[in-house]
Amino acid sequence: MDANLFGRVVVVTGGDLPLVAGLAAGLAGSGAIVVTLDADTLGSRPAAEAAFAAVAAEYGAVHGVVHAAVDPIAYERVPMHEVDDARWDAVWEQTLRRALFVLQAGHTQMRSAGGAFVFVGSPVGMAGAAELAPYAAAMEGVRVLAKSAARQWGADGIRVNVLAPAPEHVPAGVASGELALSPPALGGAGDPADDLAPVAAWLLSDDAHFVTGVTVPADGGVWMAG
Amino acid sequence: MVTGGRTDRALDGRTAIVTGAGQGVGRGIALALAAAGANVVIAARRATTGEPVAEEIRARGDEAVCIETDCTVRADMEACVAATVGRYGALEIVVHNAFKGGRAHRLEDLDLDLWDENSRTAAWASYYSAQIAYPHLAAAGDHGRLILITSPAGVEASVGIPAYGPVKAAQRALAKSLAREWGPLGVTVNCIAPVAETPALAYAFEERPELKTRVEMRTALRRIGDAEADIGGVAVFLASRAGGYVTGQTIVCDGGSFMGL
Repeated sequence: MDANLFGRVVVVTGGDLPLVAGLAAGLAGSGAIVVTLDADTLGSRPAAEAAFAAVAAEYGAVHGVVHAAVDPIAYERVPMHEVDDARWDAVWEQTLRRALFVLQAGHTQMRSAGGAFVFVGSPVGMAGAAELAPYAAAMEGVRVLAKSAARQWGADGIRVNVLAPAPEHVPAGVASGELALSPPALGGAGDPADDLAPVAAWLLSDDAHFVTGVTVPADGGVWMAG
Repeated sequence: MVTGGRTDRALDGRTAIVTGAGQGVGRGIALALAAAGANVVIAARRATTGEPVAEEIRARGDEAVCIETDCTVRADMEACVAATVGRYGALEIVVHNAFKGGRAHRLEDLDLDLWDENSRTAAWASYYSAQIAYPHLAAAGDHGRLILITSPAGVEASVGIPAYGPVKAAQRALAKSLAREWGPLGVTVNCIAPVAETPALAYAFEERPELKTRVEMRTALRRIGDAEADIGGVAVFLASRAGGYVTGQTIVCDGGSFMGL
């Protein structure tokens, strides 16, 4: 793997997901100094700012952020008429707030020297799925929040992009067929470390310095809607 | 002209709730649905704005009533839906249009007060609207319609109002997911992404006169939409039999500006 992130400090959230653990391992293989943060350090802006500042103090300036933290309750399949306010809050509201706090805390660290975010998106949000409406809403909210940040922070040298994995990487057990998507052209959902991490590494690297606000489906050729 | 009593209109006999119908796009949609024959409930946060719209509709010979409703409050939406069904016997069409929170800001300065306005009125109120109307939409079967009013910013974000795009995107994902979930019942769920003359837009044009020219010049039809004729007509289409095979979609209704779909 190219060492295109050699010595760069990359913060990874949501490392308890197998997908993200693989991404983190792959980014380390690209030479990055990978520091993982638990979702419980992202529950408020002060907590997120403190967590990012602590990373910078210990490892050096933060260059990149891979944000994937989602409460596992989001993957539980519940018909809309049985969703209660606690579930909607946990899935929609807290997912969006964590993403906002990660962006704000990352911006604090990157605003002088620039940097890049990669958000891990979801084909469920892009295509919609029955009994996963709160999760779909949250993931599309996060995807467009990334675009908002990309539009405002380009002038600060900060880029924000989204990596969308194959449906099989969503723990809710959705398949491409359920989302009315064709099976992967390249065959299989891909290995997070070998197949997806190089895409994340490229998005975080200087080679992608002119790319921001986009969603890259690293899904073996499932999503081809644009 | 009295039009009441006609039975040849696209939405004769149907009942619709429109949130945020006291002004702007919501008012235009309410007028259009009523003109197409629907009984329309003006669900406005303040009766002082909603009641005049109901009166305007009744003065045309169509049917409407105002029910003061804060759609971000579950109990309010429950009461609105119950009163609607109590008065008209059924509920086939729900249009969630209400929104508050479009003040320009920097993302790094976005605080939870402004975020909450966006989240509560767009996302939470969409969830409440969908869930509370569900038993009635399900009973309506292939007459059941949920329409969420989103924005092109829900696809491509907005540089000036970063909190706005995400909550409008959430509505698009809700529409896609609920379209799949409720499709077997015959119920359709769609979004309209409008650009129309509204008090908010008029204020923005007043503050920045050059903005009106800029918006018109990037619009293929070279004019800002009319809330009733241009946006309301699309809502009538989606609510009618003619729109019955369209679901999970966002109809961008902006005179030909955003063309990214």
